[in-house]
Amino acid sequence: MSSASQPVPNTFTHEKPRDPHWYKRAVFYEVLIRGFADSNGDGTGDIRGLIDRLDYLQWLGVDCLWLLPLYESPLRDGGYDISDYTKILPDFGDLGDFIRLVDEAHKRGMRVIADLVMNHTSDQHPWFQASRHDPEGPYGDFYVWSDTDEKYKDARIIFVDTESSNWTYDPVRGQYYWHRFFHHQPDLNYENPAVQEAMLEVLRFWLDLGIDGFRLDAVPYLFEKEGTNCENLPETHAYLKRVRAEVERLYPDRVLLAEANQWPADVVDYFGDPVTGGDECHMAFHFPLMPRIFMAVRRESRYPISEILAQTPKIPENCQWGIFLRNHDELTLEMVTDEERDYMYSEYAKDPRMRANVGIRRRLAPLLENDRNQIELFTALLLSLPGSPVLYYGDEIGMGDNIWLGDRDGVRTPMQWTPDRNAGFSDCDPGRLYLPVIMDPIYGYQAINVEAQQKNTGSLLHWTRRMIEIRKRHPVFGLGEFTELNSSNPSVLAFVRELGADRVLCVNNLSRFPQPVELDLRRFEGATPVECMGGVPFPPIGELPYLLTLPGHGFYWFTLSPTSATEES
Amino acid sequence: MTKALEGLLAGWIGHQRWFAGKGRAIDGVGIESDVELRSGDPGLRHLIIRVEQAGARDRYQLLLGTRGEIPPRLEYAHIGDGFYDAAHDPDLTGLLLEAMARGADHGPLRFRHVEGAEIDTTQRSLVLGAEQSNTSLVFGESYICKLFRRLIPGVNPELEIVTALARRGSPHIAKPYGWIEIDLDGEDTTLAFMQQFLTTANDGWSLALASVRDLYGYASQPEIPASDVGGDFSAEAHRLGAATARVHRELAAAFPTDTIDPPEIKRMAERLRARLDQMILDVPALRGHDEVVHAAYDRLAEIDHPITVQRVHGDYHLGQVMRTHAEWVILDFEGEPGQPLSERRALDSPLRDVAGMLRSFDYASRHLLMDHPEGAHLEPRAAEWSARNRAAFLAGYTEAGGHVTGDDAVLLRALEYAKAVYEVGYESRNRPSWLPIPLSAFTRNT
Repeated sequence: MSSASQPVPNTFTHEKPRDPHWYKRAVFYEVLIRGFADSNGDGTGDIRGLIDRLDYLQWLGVDCLWLLPLYESPLRDGGYDISDYTKILPDFGDLGDFIRLVDEAHKRGMRVIADLVMNHTSDQHPWFQASRHDPEGPYGDFYVWSDTDEKYKDARIIFVDTESSNWTYDPVRGQYYWHRFFHHQPDLNYENPAVQEAMLEVLRFWLDLGIDGFRLDAVPYLFEKEGTNCENLPETHAYLKRVRAEVERLYPDRVLLAEANQWPADVVDYFGDPVTGGDECHMAFHFPLMPRIFMAVRRESRYPISEILAQTPKIPENCQWGIFLRNHDELTLEMVTDEERDYMYSEYAKDPRMRANVGIRRRLAPLLENDRNQIELFTALLLSLPGSPVLYYGDEIGMGDNIWLGDRDGVRTPMQWTPDRNAGFSDCDPGRLYLPVIMDPIYGYQAINVEAQQKNTGSLLHWTRRMIEIRKRHPVFGLGEFTELNSSNPSVLAFVRELGADRVLCVNNLSRFPQPVELDLRRFEGATPVECMGGVPFPPIGELPYLLTLPGHGFYWFTLSPTSATEES
Repeated sequence: MTKALEGLLAGWIGHQRWFAGKGRAIDGVGIESDVELRSGDPGLRHLIIRVEQAGARDRYQLLLGTRGEIPPRLEYAHIGDGFYDAAHDPDLTGLLLEAMARGADHGPLRFRHVEGAEIDTTQRSLVLGAEQSNTSLVFGESYICKLFRRLIPGVNPELEIVTALARRGSPHIAKPYGWIEIDLDGEDTTLAFMQQFLTTANDGWSLALASVRDLYGYASQPEIPASDVGGDFSAEAHRLGAATARVHRELAAAFPTDTIDPPEIKRMAERLRARLDQMILDVPALRGHDEVVHAAYDRLAEIDHPITVQRVHGDYHLGQVMRTHAEWVILDFEGEPGQPLSERRALDSPLRDVAGMLRSFDYASRHLLMDHPEGAHLEPRAAEWSARNRAAFLAGYTEAGGHVTGDDAVLLRALEYAKAVYEVGYESRNRPSWLPIPLSAFTRNT
């Protein structure tokens, strides 16, 4: 491998590590391979289909694809129940297809990361089968077995809708096995050094194929200890540090993104030691921010957002938050208080079918009643708040959902490419589709699709693309400090992002009514705000409060030009 | 020289927003104290001046800047002959920070800082606009220093209370940093008080109005209750109630408390009655409501247990509370402005503050309706908002240890009516079209 300090070329290969902090500026895009594009007409999306659509994602401005699990699986939990870590789910293609995907993405300057479930496997995994049949064999200790279901009573049950205990009895082995999620997903036993080694082997397998990193699913639960809630244990952190060291040693320029649905104060531990700049995961999702964005707009008050950001600790230098509005799961409400949760339910899920586990299963557009102004405001917040934004496939065109589908399938329907049969997703018989396309008059594929929106420059798709472009022009959005500003109006959230002389001022009206705001911008006295979309200069900043008026749900992004030297005597 | 300056000040002071004697002729201005804080150009002097008006005599405080040439940016603060109001000159106000940081004495002026407080003396100041009786300087984004303009001998109650609560670690006050004092008529007198500037906070009034406006937006959908509307404020009202109860508890612990016996309660009821009767003569619109108010005062007079009194805020309403990212913070523990210090520091029932805040919720919900073309149509929404948030405030107050039942409920009701009666007088004199706001307090059925 060549040295890491080479100039940044326009294209890159993995032989030339060139940008160890790429993830701090990247725009991520979550793709459901199953739902994106079907190349072979079997009604299910596949890797080749995705490869065919890479040009679209490049055009949109995506820097990194995040793929949901693509491993062999009995699919009882959307692929999060892996039965073979080193095989591609046959529905999606094979390893050759995957290698080509990574290659083609890299050619377009995009990276690829994938979900990896370290905490548990499917009960169909050969490790589990061996473990239950042969307690004395090499895999006998790969899972957490117990003669009773009495241990670790302080651990909460996560899937409260379907599971009544974290223990399930296995009649074959005659013991209980531990599972934090579904009963068909036994937890691996990380106390066993062989398990730790085996998982490192899995990571190396994919990294050798060129993958740019992993989104590590359900990381807080790797270890168990009596008398604790079995989350965020020191042993879990120690193992993640080991994983990071291994990746760092052999595969520079890759990223580990932790999924830890915890309070920010606990999540920061997953970044590791701040003194080293972070020696655990490079990124972690900021879960509590997302519901509070919804809440702030509904309350027309900046406080829900201001509060959670004020409570968010500083993260190590080389780390980054991942932020999102919606994803393949329900809108998570675990990280809001009960009072706030009731409020969110009543506001956003008036129909009980919209609720799932502790959350709401809707896509962005229907959550916002298809209000273009609100969708734009939310997207602007996603692209300007501290962290790297993660878009969910289809939200860039304002796709709808189908609340009549079971579990979380309502937000996992086929991507809507064209107004043609099956929304251009597949040329199979419509009845063969893995899930029906959305067909209602508002969100149906004949009204909402990529083709139509690409032709219309006033579309949400073009608007989103332009905003991504602006964000990428200003690395300060990814790298800069975040400082909330003193705003005279509680409905207006104003903040600056700063990185040396590069400064962006963002002003957001969370109210549906037009609002005036006076901002205390004395710190930037003499600078001229220039609006980012149109480049129009606004009046220079003086000593007095800076007055702006915003339309309902309106927002501004300004660059603050350097202070001119001609001020004052 | 002094005579000339006094002449200039006499012509200037009458136009200042904070001058309390507006509309009356100024018979004379004399300089009572003149302390040089900085010589040279620009120079800074601290003045206490005496203003005589029709036999009354008031003292005012002034930071006097001197410059050979007044730059355009200070023209608006120019008094004349190179003298100007230096509160507006950030090149000079830093001297106040330095003197407070050092704990310096300049002649009779004593600059002090709160024990352990570190003051960053590099911050530049800006005068906060639109203040009635004082001048506040915001230093950078760190401090706000309130310069009292009209001087009343004695320690300012806000300094007294905030420093006492800060020592007890209260989260509901803005951290105190320093103050300036002088002896006036033999009394230790506060000239200025500097606290933490709450950079990203908004006052309760603007937060409440955002919520009220949102509810009005649903006027055409009466089937949607206030609890389901996006801008619901009740969670904040609840938190504010809890913060209020905690501050009352802290005040009771930090300062002496006392009790008022039933005979005194009866006298209080009589005073309230007399005020009501007088007000009915002045404001005929109040007639017809007197029965319900008298009934409340009757019940007050029947209280046969002593009631506890303590230091209170004294002028408590939504404009006096700021929501920071963490907490509600309470400002302006100065008591009713314009009242003598002894009265502003007098012990009172904490329910006086509760009553003030309840009235404030009523004002927040209704004042947008005044002169509103659809006022009558929106009235039920206003009543709904007010009832919901008053209830939430009281629930928060009770949960955090405040008492509002039994005799306390009787007292609270009487105090709230007394406040509304006062408001009736105020509105009829100043804003007759707003009279329906306090009047509606008497027809509420809660």
